[in-house]
Amino acid sequence: MTRLLGIFLIGLLSCQPPRQEQLTLAVAANMQYTIQSLIRAFNKTDSTKIAVISGASGNLTQQILNGAPFDIFISAEKVYPRELARQGLTLTPPQVYARGQLVLWSARPGIEPGKDLQVLLGDNVQRIAIANPATAPYGHAAVSLLKKYALYDQVKPKLVTGESITQASQFIATQHADIGFTAKAVVMAAEMKGKGKWVELDVNDYPAIEQAAALLTYARHNEAAARKFYHFLYSEEAKAIYKQSGYLVP
Amino acid sequence: MIELAPLWLTLQLALSTTLILFVVAIPLATWFSGRKTLLKVIIESVVTLPLVLPPTVIGFYLLMAFSPNNAFGRWLERWTDMRLVFSFGGLLIASVVYSLPFMVHPIRSGLSSLPPSLKEASYSLGKTKWQTLLKVLLPNIKPSLLTGLVLTFAHTIGEFGVVLMIGGNIPGKTRTASIAIYDEVQALHYGQANVYAVILLVISFAILLILYAFNGKTRQVKFY
Repeated sequence: MTRLLGIFLIGLLSCQPPRQEQLTLAVAANMQYTIQSLIRAFNKTDSTKIAVISGASGNLTQQILNGAPFDIFISAEKVYPRELARQGLTLTPPQVYARGQLVLWSARPGIEPGKDLQVLLGDNVQRIAIANPATAPYGHAAVSLLKKYALYDQVKPKLVTGESITQASQFIATQHADIGFTAKAVVMAAEMKGKGKWVELDVNDYPAIEQAAALLTYARHNEAAARKFYHFLYSEEAKAIYKQSGYLVP
Repeated sequence: MIELAPLWLTLQLALSTTLILFVVAIPLATWFSGRKTLLKVIIESVVTLPLVLPPTVIGFYLLMAFSPNNAFGRWLERWTDMRLVFSFGGLLIASVVYSLPFMVHPIRSGLSSLPPSLKEASYSLGKTKWQTLLKVLLPNIKPSLLTGLVLTFAHTIGEFGVVLMIGGNIPGKTRTASIAIYDEVQALHYGQANVYAVILLVISFAILLILYAFNGKTRQVKFY
């Protein structure tokens, strides 16, 4: 029995990952495809290993507040990283890297997303997916847009809420929802090509989704590498990638 | 202050699941408690699966099954005119599957622990199988029945993973208390989350207290 336990312990200890230079990024769900392009571009000149944790910005903020080991927070808007800065959890003031765009998207045959949103009132639209407005900026933008068009009260019974923009997108792509609001970066991603139809919504009709990032205090253990990637996020090369991926660049 | 709707919804879901499972589990448990056959062993393993599988596996397969992307999902939508994902009905089906072993196991082990002479005496006095079950066997395993009811109810209250995956967080329909807690925590509303959490904690504790108070004397109740 003791021998068995010994073998088990040795096995457990040998599972420890070797220490190496590695960065962990907390990335807003809408950036999950774009971040891969960014990392590929960064790794052309720098071999630092980069791990990505994605989720709704609110969820990630909550994790960081509770001590999650993330080096950089790439949020979908400004409020969350600002809150972290206020609590002394960042090394840099949050800075906007790109502006997000909201799209109306449907994978159901026979449903045509239109800029005027009238399609949402039709009988063939029973379920409209949005991201959770309380924690996901794109969900909040979608609700503001619906209120501006005075449609919110009418379509409210049809709304289904995804935990993050990813889950809302999954509801739309699998046709569990007839139509829904998501980030342009999601429908532009290679994985989503050819899945249904989408239309870009007027950026003046909803509060700007100013996506900001911040270097977190946890990065102190590996500050040089973390700073290098953080600065890369604001480089011309990165800006070109944002544009290509469906973002507006300041 | 918090909304009460998620709590009511959770109670509704737990009550409906418990009632449905009580009706479903008694015949199943009776069948399982009889002589072992290969088919029985296989079915019993299937019934126990939700006990060991992560809820996400159940959530994933339900999502796939109900999707309009496949033939079954389309058929379901056309003929029942109802979409199970994002609806109370869908949650109910998921809960029934997910809590099945919690009802079947205690009843089954209760029935197996009864001496065969009880059944034989009833048969020789001319009672049918059905009468024997209702009037002789079930009244003799009341503690097991109570355990099954209570565990199923409590387990459904604690359901989270499946609801998160197929619920869609609709107030009054699929936003259960466990989801409401998750939402409030993510939105950094720790105060509200705490109110929901305390209420669930008190309810769960009260339920278990009742169970142990009533089943305290009889030591025969086993889960397996």
